[in-house]
Amino acid sequence: MRVADSRREGLDRRIRDYHGVALDEVLELIDYLRDPGDSVIAGGSLTLGLGNQRSDLDVVVVVRGGEGSGRMPLEHWQGSLRVDAWKLRQATIDDIFERAERRLNDEAAFDGAFGNVHEQADLKLLHRVAFGVHLDGAQLRPTRTRDYREIARDLIAREYAERMRTAALLGQLAVRSGQSIAAATNARLAVEGALHAVLAARGVGFTGDKWLEQRLAEVDPELHKSYRRSAILPRQRDGAWKRFVGRAIETCEESTGLDLSLASLGRFASFGNTDLQAMRIGKEDLLLSVSQGGLWRLEPDEAKAWRGLEEKGSRVLDVLAEDESRLCLALHQQGLLKLSWERGLPLHELSLGEVVGA
Amino acid sequence: MKAIELDARRYAWCHGNARWLMGLECAQWMEDLQGAAAANQRGLVRYVSRAIGEECAVMLALIVHHAKPIPSPQMRAAWALERIAGHDLHDPCWELIRGVDVDAEPPWKTVARCEALLDAVREIVGDAPNPLTPEGYHPALALARDWLKLADAVEEEGPLPSEWTKGG
Repeated sequence: MRVADSRREGLDRRIRDYHGVALDEVLELIDYLRDPGDSVIAGGSLTLGLGNQRSDLDVVVVVRGGEGSGRMPLEHWQGSLRVDAWKLRQATIDDIFERAERRLNDEAAFDGAFGNVHEQADLKLLHRVAFGVHLDGAQLRPTRTRDYREIARDLIAREYAERMRTAALLGQLAVRSGQSIAAATNARLAVEGALHAVLAARGVGFTGDKWLEQRLAEVDPELHKSYRRSAILPRQRDGAWKRFVGRAIETCEESTGLDLSLASLGRFASFGNTDLQAMRIGKEDLLLSVSQGGLWRLEPDEAKAWRGLEEKGSRVLDVLAEDESRLCLALHQQGLLKLSWERGLPLHELSLGEVVGA
Repeated sequence: MKAIELDARRYAWCHGNARWLMGLECAQWMEDLQGAAAANQRGLVRYVSRAIGEECAVMLALIVHHAKPIPSPQMRAAWALERIAGHDLHDPCWELIRGVDVDAEPPWKTVARCEALLDAVREIVGDAPNPLTPEGYHPALALARDWLKLADAVEEEGPLPSEWTKGG
């Protein structure tokens, strides 16, 4: 039996077991979205051997001509099975793959270009198409780029390596500022980013952040063990959280081959102003954001640090004094300064141990 | 008539975002959690319960303190917990964000903790129809549209993901 057939059969079996629904019924349910010749692909956790009784089934109808339905999922129900469907033009899909390919060949940081932690539509769409189960219609083939799977794999590996780098930087800055929760939550995010990158590099299909631990348990018990050391944050009452961050950074460095020390990362990271402006009212120093409709009162040492930042005219981390970088972190934590990177992490700079970027 | 004692833009933004988190994000997380617990997928239980803790902390920061803006995803948990320090629901949020010891705590108990926290937060934020059910889908969309109209009227950004406004 071909792999594609066995995956389709596996999916059919799972939704029959969970919901008493057959794939043919799903195809009938979304038939109104299709024209003859349109391709249908199923994606999401159920197609990757994950999922459970409450998981929905994602279906992408790929149209050659005509209009798509937009990026908001169209919900359907077949019995207890929820089917989220998207009708997308192949040109839309190929645009995203082409954009992904272009960004992979560029040194600039992705900077959320394919979604962030909360908006993952592009990342998930790429993987639905690349790693999904073909249900009906013509087999989808890229018209402008190399193989869909290679691009999807490389994109996830780099995206998560860059997320790891950001979290590693923020975690270490938070340690320096004595912010235990920001330090520990970012250390955990950094480890998760590193492990997502490693899994992607091995060609493991991506289906969202939430499945990471299940995936690791299935494919690599050693990596799973490594993850479990970072899965629960230490309590704040002792110095354990500093050791926790240190161990997490070590794990990330071992997984990616990168130097993640503050000194190394600080050369490429800067905090950009949104619309903050300092106002001195009597003896008070305030920061004003007109766009947010907000005012923040500065302590004297913070006001001094802000003046230092303004005089330097640069917020690249490695030129900042410690009190200035501490203020930058505090303002970033309020959503008032944006962290950005002078350059991204091209795959050839990572040692993920597999074939990414080939 | 009773005045809402808050700038209209800030009210629309904070409440619109909180209702969005309660209406779709938390409904989705609870469904994930229940599915994970039933299937004994403990890694998923840990991840999802942590997400519920974070969403609840953020909703409280929005509604109780009218905090604005919401920072980058990496800083949200720390930001929200700092904002709600001293609130009765701070510790339940933190315990979930910290990460559940899924080897020691049975999944049903984690589900119960999350449900209790969400019920308490819902009392403060307000209820929203569950868009993941056939009966809640259209009412949820209608409510989201109402909040978007208010956001538009006061020239604030609406809570819907920007990707939903992209073409297909």
